[in-house]
Amino acid sequence: MPAIPTPTGFTLDETYTPEGEYRFKNSREAVRRLPFPFPDDEYMYSMNLEPHVPAGDGALSAAFDIDEHYVSECAHRAQMLRDMPGVHYLALPHMLEAQWDLLELIFESYNRDFPEHFTLTKNGNEWRWQNRLLGIDDSFTFGDPATLPMDPMEYATRQAQGEFVVLEERDNTLVIGAGMTTQRADYSLQFNLGMNFSEFHGPVPKLDKLGILDRALKFLLRMKPGHPVRRVNWSLTVNPRLETSVETLPDWAPDRAKVTAENAGEMVHLRIELQPLHLLPRSNAIVFPVRTYLVSLAELVEHAPDWAKRVHRALASLDHELADYKGFHRYHAAAVEWLSQHDDGAPLATGYPWYPDGIQPGNS
Amino acid sequence: MLITGIKSRPVYDELTPMASGLRHVAAAQGSGGEPLLRLLGEMDPVQLAATTVLYSIESFTGRNHLAHIKKHQVRELFVFPTNAEAVRGLDAVLATAQMGTRLYLSGSEGFIGTSMQVATSYGMNRDEVLREHAGSFVRRVWCAHCGHYSENVTRRVFQCPGCERNLVVRDHYSGRLAAFQGVKADGEVPGELPEDEELDT
Repeated sequence: MPAIPTPTGFTLDETYTPEGEYRFKNSREAVRRLPFPFPDDEYMYSMNLEPHVPAGDGALSAAFDIDEHYVSECAHRAQMLRDMPGVHYLALPHMLEAQWDLLELIFESYNRDFPEHFTLTKNGNEWRWQNRLLGIDDSFTFGDPATLPMDPMEYATRQAQGEFVVLEERDNTLVIGAGMTTQRADYSLQFNLGMNFSEFHGPVPKLDKLGILDRALKFLLRMKPGHPVRRVNWSLTVNPRLETSVETLPDWAPDRAKVTAENAGEMVHLRIELQPLHLLPRSNAIVFPVRTYLVSLAELVEHAPDWAKRVHRALASLDHELADYKGFHRYHAAAVEWLSQHDDGAPLATGYPWYPDGIQPGNS
Repeated sequence: MLITGIKSRPVYDELTPMASGLRHVAAAQGSGGEPLLRLLGEMDPVQLAATTVLYSIESFTGRNHLAHIKKHQVRELFVFPTNAEAVRGLDAVLATAQMGTRLYLSGSEGFIGTSMQVATSYGMNRDEVLREHAGSFVRRVWCAHCGHYSENVTRRVFQCPGCERNLVVRDHYSGRLAAFQGVKADGEVPGELPEDEELDT
């Protein structure tokens, strides 16, 4: 087997676990290309869906973004799947067509957007997939699961950044049919598999009252192939820990009690979720990817000072019920206090940073 | 009353004969005997003659309707000492079921949920099944950490028999697991437990 050439621009020696001592950091470029999710000083929960068209030269320039953490994230996914089989990847039996749809979507996107790293060659249904970042060169027959070493969805998403949940339309709602979720933010795939749209959103406070859920569902049920939409969401996570599932809560929840106003800059990470939804062409299923970015508050201050000010204001004015739901009630005040030292109160632009008038990272 | 605030909890029906059915299977447990009796009372003789009844006498509240159930002239009646055996019995009945079979479930949420798992495994659709809750709203709880299922949980905070962690029961229900979710109650600071309370009162 030929040696894998070391790709440049990717951090290989990087971990997302306490055993690996959380060896993780972002370069200045990685921070300044983030899909920063706070367009205003005050945060309001909303679906904020917009067409998923390339925008700016950062994380939104590709259909499925990859960045300097690609290789280490794929290694982390492999480790999580090995450590807890049957917990992070599950698919209901009738989801095979959607799985092939998803494989095609990811591989075609990577091939188109990052030709220096990925090549998909099609000869009818005989496909060759080359992933130079992970040293993979496989040939298989599209549509024939026997020609792959595992489920098509598992095969494709082991080579993709972010998590992927596939929703199928059933009785005018969307039901979770499959998921690759090694980066879950406090939910359980085993538990949520098979739930419909309103069931799996059940724990989100206020959603129903605002009528957001019904409108979002109606919108998603009208989606068309080739016209993806996206939204961004966010939370806070202590340490650069990707895997924060319900199942392992006893391992990571104690870290929440260790945050102080002194260490919040290093310990508290903004967890940005970029969610580009696509309707899959054959199966009519919808893929809901959650591309997760972790950035410490200190990294924001150092590399994107205006974004740090914005996070300060959004957190300071955040509703308690939402802080509780997002799981950082205990260290909310500590994070705000730490950030307050880095906010001079200057007015900031409104709008997402991938729009010309939106908030830019700023200069330190 | 019972459903408020829990969007993932199943919405239950009222048992009533489904005219489209060629064969009927009715499975009930404990207090679920009451809706079952009402259902049987509403059936015509042709429907009764095509009806298989499964009844478990296990009950959290101690209600047993077997004597009254026996008075109805159904095609066959199977009686089980426990809910788990009744669910296995349902599995055996559905294994030989044909097109046109309609299923009726009544009893506790755990019984309905685990019976529904069996029905789903045979590809039965929601429009072929009616479910009516009866009796106490005790919960079946899945421990997210060790996978243990606890039956008849009545308190917000309880100790998992599987892993001995203190669990808090979240108001979040999984139809696939037929259970509510239990997660470590003092996850952030050991010993710092949330307020305990009676569930669904």
